[in-house]
Amino acid sequence: MTEAALTSDIAVGKGRSLWADAWRRLLSRKLVVASLIVIAVFVMVALGVYAGLIARDWSEPVGPRYQRPSLEHGFGTDFLGRSVWRKTLYGAKISLTVAFLASLISICIGLPLGAIAGYFKGWIDELIVWLFTTVNSIPYIILILAFAFVLQGKTLFGYPLRGISVVYLVIGLTSWVGLCRLIRGEVLKHRDRDYVMAARAYGCSRSRIILGHVIPNVAHLVIINFSLRFVSFIHAEVILSFLGLGVKGEPSWGVMIDDARQELYRGCWWQLAAATLAIGLLCLALNIVGDALRDALDPKLRQGLE
Amino acid sequence: MNDLLQIRGLCTEFRTEDGLVRAVDGVSWQVNPGRTLGIVGESGCGKSVSALSVMGLIPKPSGEIVGGQVWFKGQDLLKLTERQIREIRGNEIAMIFQEPMTSLNPVFTVGNQIVEAIKLHQKLRTRDAWDLAVESLQRVGVPSAAERVYAYPHQLSGGMRQRVMIAMALSCHPAVLIADEPTTALDVTIQAQILELLRRLQAGERMALVLITHDLAVIAQIAHTVAVMYASRIVEYTSVEALFDQPLHPYTQGLFRSLPRLGQKKRRLDAIGGTVPNPLAFPSGCKFHPRCPLGCDDKRCQSVEPNLRLIRPGHVLACFKAAGYEDSPPCDIPTQAPTEVSNG
Amino acid sequence: MVSYIIRRLLYAIPTILGVLLITFILFNLIPGDPSYDIAGKSASAETIAEIRRELGFDKPRFLDTEALSQGRIAAAFDSQFFNHFRNTLTLNFPRSLTSHEPIWDEIKSRAPASLTLAAPMFIGLIATSIAIALVVAFARGSWVDTILVFICVVGMSIPMLSYILFGQHYLAYELGWFPILGYESGMQAFKYIALPCLLGIASGLGSYVRFYRTVMLDEMRSDYVRTAFAKGLSSPRVLFKHVLKNAMIPIITTLVLSIPFLFLGSLLLERFFSIPGMGSYFLDAFNSRDFPVINAMVFTTSLLYVLGQLVTDICYALVDPRISLR
Ligand SMILES: Nc1ncnc2c1ncn2[C@@H]1O[C@H](COP(=O)(O)OP(=O)(O)O)[C@@H](O)[C@H]1O
Ligand SMILES: [Mg+2]
Repeated sequence: MTEAALTSDIAVGKGRSLWADAWRRLLSRKLVVASLIVIAVFVMVALGVYAGLIARDWSEPVGPRYQRPSLEHGFGTDFLGRSVWRKTLYGAKISLTVAFLASLISICIGLPLGAIAGYFKGWIDELIVWLFTTVNSIPYIILILAFAFVLQGKTLFGYPLRGISVVYLVIGLTSWVGLCRLIRGEVLKHRDRDYVMAARAYGCSRSRIILGHVIPNVAHLVIINFSLRFVSFIHAEVILSFLGLGVKGEPSWGVMIDDARQELYRGCWWQLAAATLAIGLLCLALNIVGDALRDALDPKLRQGLE
Repeated sequence: MNDLLQIRGLCTEFRTEDGLVRAVDGVSWQVNPGRTLGIVGESGCGKSVSALSVMGLIPKPSGEIVGGQVWFKGQDLLKLTERQIREIRGNEIAMIFQEPMTSLNPVFTVGNQIVEAIKLHQKLRTRDAWDLAVESLQRVGVPSAAERVYAYPHQLSGGMRQRVMIAMALSCHPAVLIADEPTTALDVTIQAQILELLRRLQAGERMALVLITHDLAVIAQIAHTVAVMYASRIVEYTSVEALFDQPLHPYTQGLFRSLPRLGQKKRRLDAIGGTVPNPLAFPSGCKFHPRCPLGCDDKRCQSVEPNLRLIRPGHVLACFKAAGYEDSPPCDIPTQAPTEVSNG
Repeated sequence: MVSYIIRRLLYAIPTILGVLLITFILFNLIPGDPSYDIAGKSASAETIAEIRRELGFDKPRFLDTEALSQGRIAAAFDSQFFNHFRNTLTLNFPRSLTSHEPIWDEIKSRAPASLTLAAPMFIGLIATSIAIALVVAFARGSWVDTILVFICVVGMSIPMLSYILFGQHYLAYELGWFPILGYESGMQAFKYIALPCLLGIASGLGSYVRFYRTVMLDEMRSDYVRTAFAKGLSSPRVLFKHVLKNAMIPIITTLVLSIPFLFLGSLLLERFFSIPGMGSYFLDAFNSRDFPVINAMVFTTSLLYVLGQLVTDICYALVDPRISLR
């Protein structure tokens, strides 16, 4: 028992210094700090919208229709005279909610499947590999749309699936393959390492080994994977909303782009610009932080310096 | 400067994320036709970096040669333009590396890679270059060379690949060959063959050879003079006879003690206590003092770094504890080395 | 070579069967009988029965146990499950619910337009990315590198829709450099696909350049590059001969990964520029809830993906002498 605790301490202790080290590296770069601030601001805006503090009256017209950006009208107004600025702020809520929940679903599927496949090997592994190879062979956008087609209007545990819930469910259900494959590979490497052997020798149960020993040692991969995956989730939400699958009755950035499509022919570019800017800025920040995280956390790259 | 290749006070630094690393700090040595200089030291002490500095192959944005000269045939290589140094590289000074497994390009045949070197430096037709490639493979003892030129590196064993590397390096008959741990990655029997090959070729061509290794046994077989490096610096530099007769630096003595002897159980290099210091945080004073059996509690060893001094003819040393060090003149390259005079 | 291809094809069988299983679950199991949806609320019993028969929903789901107990083995397998497998595998898709045309004919007639757009887009994207990545790798560590990488990251942060809207509106509508939308087959097609193609390339360039740059830089750190420099080769020579050929190995292995991007691109671009390809077919089917078409498209696209993978494996074996075709 004490020995098992000891080995787990070693494994996790190694992890802890890795995290501290990574954090220090991240904060030593100005661009990364700026990106972290940008992300924090977006998250705050989203929370503010949830709390009803920000952009609550987005649906109220604030002036005449199709007003250019100006001191008076901020980012301008749309075809109903609503404030583009408020819609943009509101879109942060949709985007981040979708990306966050989709990540959660995706991790909840990919992580255990990958860990189980890698740890048990044998037929379970083959089954899981077959599953993700199959899912992976259907082009992402087609798969997403097919899922969305099927799930729309259904109920899940008595909860009707429409609007935003379809979006994050579909994205989550279709995007776990990359993580699953990554985790499987890593667990395959880890399962024969000394600390796992030791834990096994001391009679730890399989689930305890996986949860207590293997997963903490591959957790950084989840973080790296998802900091980068987040961007594609945000983009997917935009496309789904644009195709009319996403949120209805709420302004998301995809919906704004759809609105802008009509407005462009009247020379109104600001709604498109505002949505693009918001998506671009958030994704840029996420990309920068994701890259920096990978540099800081991926031991392979750090060995590569030598 | 009558020496073929002489480097003086070479300093090379790397900018890393964690700070500035001085990988080579004021290193000087020289080598002449038909002679072999052995450079020995634990891994990470700057042997490879000093060799790469001579070749002008320091990875560019992060690494920089910040001081010193590299005199070759009367000109300072560090002052040449990139174009001029390319004329010398591979042509007059050639280099082979530690990892025969990865040092050859996996997607080209070995013949292609040798021919590339030949055609770069000699005005030859392609046919003649291929003939020359076969010939140079034969010279380094590759069996059925006429077929092997068409082989890909992965089809050859490690020893064969190292022979190919040597053939490629020697295809233009360089005046100097720098061999960076050419045998480290190979089996012991293959090691002996490669060393023998190097010695034979060197004698035949009157080539100057710089052999980098962490293995004193290799030095004993092939070198004429030896420079012992520790933590980016040379700490002892003399003829191979003098060094094996009486090593003076405690680090060198440690290296000798860690050699396996007949009838003794094999001990490893870490018979010297402690570890190689971190180049980001070298100890003050003599960099060896924390591991030194003699000087670890000496105030001077802890605070002042000893310079190389000519402690006796043909023998330079950087250690306060050696008898006669105080009275010797500063000197970074051993003069009047007895072997060099008699055999030269 | 032939046996290698056959072996790769055999590996693909479980994947194809898996796709069939997924589409069965998606389109037969989860939604159940769609006849009422399709026929509308006020449809007569006959119409519904007609639709059910047409779509095969009158058959038992997995196995006709009645027929089995009577010993009619062949009839026992005349079920939704087995018919789905058989019909899809033989590309014998049902008719579309909206146009009532056979789906496979429709796909065949639309494939050329999709290909006319996707092929130049694909080749242009890969070639441009490799070229820029080489420049960036050559200038590694300099400000050119830093700025280009930053532009790439900005480029990949902007959603594809914005590129398309911007391009269509400003380059075609305002400036009139390209037709706003439309399509004609034959040589005229190039006039129409030029802009969609450019926009597709532009929106993919950021991530591709960045990825290929990483690949090249990884290669440049290899020992054989040091050897090449030690021979006295110049940087461009090392880059174009030694690094490029080695970098082609990871680049080729990841080519198949760009297939999903191509599909997304085709989908959106065909929609915006009214190109009558498979992407717009899929989207139309999606909007009119034409599930047999969606089912057929899922299957054909994954078939294309698997084929793409096969081609990749063969190219891989051709570039890398360490892989033998046996
Ligand atoms: N490209 C590089 N970037 C940063 N540091 C380097 C690089 N190459 C070598 N070094 C540092 O220089 C020192 C000497 O390395 P090297 O000459 O390779 O040692 P060795 O004596 O084993 O050949 C090491 O401490 C290493 O950390
Ligand atoms: Mg070395």
